[in-house]
Amino acid sequence: MTNTKYDLAIQAQSKPEVLERILRVVRHRGFQIQALNMPEMNDCNALKITVTVSGKRPIDMLHKQLDKLFDVQNITCSKHDG
Amino acid sequence: MKATEFIVEALHEQNVTQVFGYPGGAIMPLYDALFDGGISHLLTRHEQGAVMAAIGYARAGASVGVCIATSGPGATNLVTGLAEAMTDSVPIVAITGQVPSNLIGVDTFQEVDILGMTLSCTKHSFLVEHQDDLPEIMQQAFELAMSGRPGPVLIDIPKDIQLAEMANGATFTAVTNVAEAVVENVFNQQINAARALIEAAKKPVLYVGGGVGMADAVNELRQLNGVLNMPMVSTLKGLGSADADNPYYLGMLGMHGLKAANLAVQESDLLIAIGARFDDRVTGKLDEFAPHAKVIHLDIDACEHHKLRTANVAISTDLKKVLPALAMQLSISDWQQHVTELKATTAFRYDHPGIAIYAPLLLKQLSAALPQDHFVACDVGQHQMWTAQHMTFTRPENLLSSAGFGTMGFGLPAAVGAAMARPEAMPVVVTGDGSIMMNIQELATINRAHLPIKIVLIDNQRLGMVRQWQTLFFEGRLSQTILDDNPDFVALAAACGIQGETIVVKEQVQPAIERMLAHDGAYFLHVQISEIENVWPLVPPGVNNSKMLEAQDYDEY
Repeated sequence: MTNTKYDLAIQAQSKPEVLERILRVVRHRGFQIQALNMPEMNDCNALKITVTVSGKRPIDMLHKQLDKLFDVQNITCSKHDG
Repeated sequence: MKATEFIVEALHEQNVTQVFGYPGGAIMPLYDALFDGGISHLLTRHEQGAVMAAIGYARAGASVGVCIATSGPGATNLVTGLAEAMTDSVPIVAITGQVPSNLIGVDTFQEVDILGMTLSCTKHSFLVEHQDDLPEIMQQAFELAMSGRPGPVLIDIPKDIQLAEMANGATFTAVTNVAEAVVENVFNQQINAARALIEAAKKPVLYVGGGVGMADAVNELRQLNGVLNMPMVSTLKGLGSADADNPYYLGMLGMHGLKAANLAVQESDLLIAIGARFDDRVTGKLDEFAPHAKVIHLDIDACEHHKLRTANVAISTDLKKVLPALAMQLSISDWQQHVTELKATTAFRYDHPGIAIYAPLLLKQLSAALPQDHFVACDVGQHQMWTAQHMTFTRPENLLSSAGFGTMGFGLPAAVGAAMARPEAMPVVVTGDGSIMMNIQELATINRAHLPIKIVLIDNQRLGMVRQWQTLFFEGRLSQTILDDNPDFVALAAACGIQGETIVVKEQVQPAIERMLAHDGAYFLHVQISEIENVWPLVPPGVNNSKMLEAQDYDEY
């Protein structure tokens, strides 16, 4: 089985440790981070994080685990182009 | 009002009457508020004892367990318990003191980043940054601990914030567990799909886990199977959920499961997993587990669906609503007859030769002697599996066993908490000589709280389960598993004010059990058994559950 790349767009509450939470789940559930972006937001309570991950496991598993994080409000997931 | 007074008021409001903990520098303000705060606090002798007592309290009494510890080592000593609560889905709120806000991150005395440390073993965690955040955080903590799939939540509170004055009008509103709204048309489609699979099945099996008890759906399960009359197996945490008198109930499945349970699952053409998660100790070799079965997976945590086994139908709605919707009359009499024959021909035998005490028989006798209202807390290892195999449980909250995390040292403190939650129940611990030493200090807590806990120590002077595996799979090289220098356990118990006795032969068992149960107060029954006894059956690593080893195979192995 080969690695597949996915793009995740995550909306989360702005908390000091929220990025740690997301990165931990990605790592522990068997995915590697290929790219990560967190632009500065006007709304200081919200974060938008885009992550490109790769892994052999079904992405649905990671999607649901991230969705379970209390601070994560919304996630969309798509297969990475190219 | 100080923040610590607010916390105590919130606990009252949430109807928390009992907490467990251990004071220290950074949590002293909260302990000062607890001094005359009107909430019962039990001092354990180690923070691990406090969190495991809170787990026992929560599991036995179906409420949230609360534990309190100081910063640094106090907080790190909670970690194993938090992981235990995470794995077995136990609602816990842990409150830790933290060094003052301005000293976080400069390596202060007794400072540790407990939030960072517990990211992986809490459902959620909070570091309180301002006292005015406390009302919302306390509410969210209790809500999160209880809701959906329950779990542990940590609230880390710096000392300066504990001492701060709350803004006027800070209030806490008690939270209750509200089931998530159900989208009716989706639910109906799922139920129809599940019913179609059940109707078409010729060899269906119900596979019941700890989720049934946690969803308070034991009655719904029993009513459902009163109609279905489907063969039913249970995980370790599901024990007590099924009606043990149901002729089609086959007992525990998995690595040390009952033969009939494992064989029925391997033969089944439909597996209905109810609050269970296809754990590796259940499935054995995963790709050969129930190889002919379609799967209906009912679990409130959608993350469990398709994780290890793809389900044909997966439903995450509250079991109290799902189970009644699956009732129907089935025509599976050939299958029912087959499993009842399996059950009869593979039943455990207790005619063990010799005069030495046979632990399975002792546990069967103990089970029969217990009053209706009781609980059994156990530790981890051979005694734990014998308890699961040979004792009968009529409610899931009557067996407190560290199932998913396998935490040695769980039994004594869990029983302490459970005895506080259910003071009218007969409190029993079944433990081993390895496990009990991991939290032996809680004997002093039992004495302190005058808890009438009956401790049955099955002593083979070994780390028995590891010894068994070394014998079977590591050429008998008994690396670090011989405990023939154990302390004098009865003297140790006596030093903590607990009366006890040692028994060594079969004929002593029944009178000793009767003496123990009739004794007013805690009792320590030290049971010496042979070190060569093994737990059977055993599914060896890497094979499927139909290839169980049994005592008679042992010589050939």
